[in-house]
Amino acid sequence: MTPTTRTAPSTRWIAPTALLWALAALFLIPVAWFLLSSFKPGSELFTWPLRLFPQDWTLDGYRTAWSRFDFQTYFLNTAFVAVVTTVFTVFVSACTGFALAKYRNRWVQAFFLMILATTMLPTEVIMPSTFAVILGLGLYNSLAGIIIPSIITATGIFMFRQFFLTVPDELLQAARIDGAGEFRIFFTLMLPIARPIIAVLAIFSFQWRWNDYIWPLLVLNDQDKYTLQIALRSIVGAENIDWSVLLGASVISLIPMVLLFLVFRRQIMNSDISSGLKD
Amino acid sequence: MPALNRRTLLAAGLATAAVPTVAACGGNSSGSTDAPLQFILSGDANQGGGYATMAEKYQEETGVVVEIVDVPYDDLQTKVRNAAQANDLPAIGRMPSVDPVWLDRTVDLADIAAEVKPIEGMYAADEDGKIPALPSDLTAVGMFLNKDLWDEAGVEYPTSFDDNVWTWDEFLESARTVREATGIRFSLTMDRSSHRLSSFLYQNGSEGLALTDDLSEYVANDGTAGALERFIAMNDDEVMPRSVWLTEEDPNAMFKTGQIAAYYSGSWQIADFVENIADFEWISVPMPAQPDQATNFGAAAQIVVFEGTGQEEQALDFVRWLYSPENYAEISRIAGFLPATEGVEVSYDARQEDFDLYNAAIAGSPAFVGQIKERDLALQVSGTAAPLSGDPLRDETVKAISGDISAEEVVENALAQLNESLA
Repeated sequence: MTPTTRTAPSTRWIAPTALLWALAALFLIPVAWFLLSSFKPGSELFTWPLRLFPQDWTLDGYRTAWSRFDFQTYFLNTAFVAVVTTVFTVFVSACTGFALAKYRNRWVQAFFLMILATTMLPTEVIMPSTFAVILGLGLYNSLAGIIIPSIITATGIFMFRQFFLTVPDELLQAARIDGAGEFRIFFTLMLPIARPIIAVLAIFSFQWRWNDYIWPLLVLNDQDKYTLQIALRSIVGAENIDWSVLLGASVISLIPMVLLFLVFRRQIMNSDISSGLKD
Repeated sequence: MPALNRRTLLAAGLATAAVPTVAACGGNSSGSTDAPLQFILSGDANQGGGYATMAEKYQEETGVVVEIVDVPYDDLQTKVRNAAQANDLPAIGRMPSVDPVWLDRTVDLADIAAEVKPIEGMYAADEDGKIPALPSDLTAVGMFLNKDLWDEAGVEYPTSFDDNVWTWDEFLESARTVREATGIRFSLTMDRSSHRLSSFLYQNGSEGLALTDDLSEYVANDGTAGALERFIAMNDDEVMPRSVWLTEEDPNAMFKTGQIAAYYSGSWQIADFVENIADFEWISVPMPAQPDQATNFGAAAQIVVFEGTGQEEQALDFVRWLYSPENYAEISRIAGFLPATEGVEVSYDARQEDFDLYNAAIAGSPAFVGQIKERDLALQVSGTAAPLSGDPLRDETVKAISGDISAEEVVENALAQLNESLA
């Protein structure tokens, strides 16, 4: 191999790599601006010409946000809701997706169509009836009132169904011949190979619940049960927004999501969803 | 397969057991007379902080705990409507308006009104004489100038109503001079709100879109379309940026950049500007009059005591305490409010002269401005009008600024929508 042939591939990649770096930097600008702005005093936020870096670094926004809001309670409430809902969402979606993919029955297909149809309705449309149900069940002003209606998502069911469809039926038949029952097939064969889907849905579900706003606002009446997003939005007044507090509080509220990303980075990035399969 | 069955059963058992466990977490409502008094409101740092301070003071004096429940402003009505449906209303509310959904769940505040003397026209009684709500504070429309820019351009401006207040033509000419001399982007910006726009209309020979005396119809006088046309023409990306009304760009932030000569907003900005403008000096000035000097003022919010909580008496005691001259002056000072009751002198921590100017503007406004507010409130407490989903005057004006309809059509369409809500 001559030196020319060795260097050729790297030169070929310089331009696209540089372009990708430039794009990545572009995406980073708003985030950097947001983070740096949270260290600016209120009087510096709108100065013209715009300045990226604070002239007078301050933690006042963070301090006020931290002292004004009971972050610990809100974090705990939000984390509880997000974790519990996510666990149930993943389990229920996996069960339903498996049934819809692997059991042949026209009613099952009709049921699947009905589930899909629910995605056509905006959440706001079904909200009053869901609220009436929550009231009837005595779940108003409880965290369970946020968790239970959020467990079943058509998206999650759809993701699992589509994944299980790709699993060859022969695999199941082989397991049945070996004497495995349906539960065992589901728990020991199907669930493990669906790990990438579990991870993706878990991350999505956690994020949806972490960012959920209008439903907790309607269901919760007691400030001790408030979630983070309700507290965050209350900084926006009728005519004024306390930007420095809002920025500080927003950064604080982001930290768990960033940690989640760092921990599950591999799963988030993993697109090799057919691992473990040979067809 | 015993192992399989055990595991399967265990998993299924855990899943079913967890649902009632989750269902059991939380879930008790107010109602006990010893429970803290819930006071639902929406306040930015100044206003919410003001009520929180007063709640602490009340607890020190009486031992009664008032819990401030701060809810995002845009969803306060939705939240309280749902709480009413759930039969879980808070003890007290500071609401943007009186809502027919919970109007019959309010306690009569006529006795307190007689004691605290709210400013005439800022509260209303229904046909049985019940006063369901008291004004929490006043807001008024006003104008701010970037003083540094005006001084740099050497352009004069009035600072009190004793001076000959400028006309809109004079103001626009002066602001143009400032803009050109200092190289800034716009002469003026105005909040995207019909409250501000109505004030502009009053100053330009219109009486806005007003309810008739018998509350049966909304009407507009002949000057309204002309005044609107004037406003629409000002949105030309030179005098005023069109982005504020068309795409909801934040005029407060624009003014803070120092690229705007004047900002048409209101008294609630003072506290924010004191805190968050350090790059230039700003000043409150009388708004232009062509021919009428007028501000649009009204109750920023309504204090209501809800029925059925079992805490009505304690809530009434707190409201009475809050409106006592000493306490009311204190919250007005902390929160930067204009007082909504008569005879309360407030010594503000900063910019006393600005608040004085607003009070003078209210006092000098023509009588019809107060009457319009009075009738609006009377309509609200009568509970006969359907709540509007949007703001007809603002929404139709936006269409006109984007060139879709004329000023005449704005008046026509907005009146039609308002009158439909009465039907």
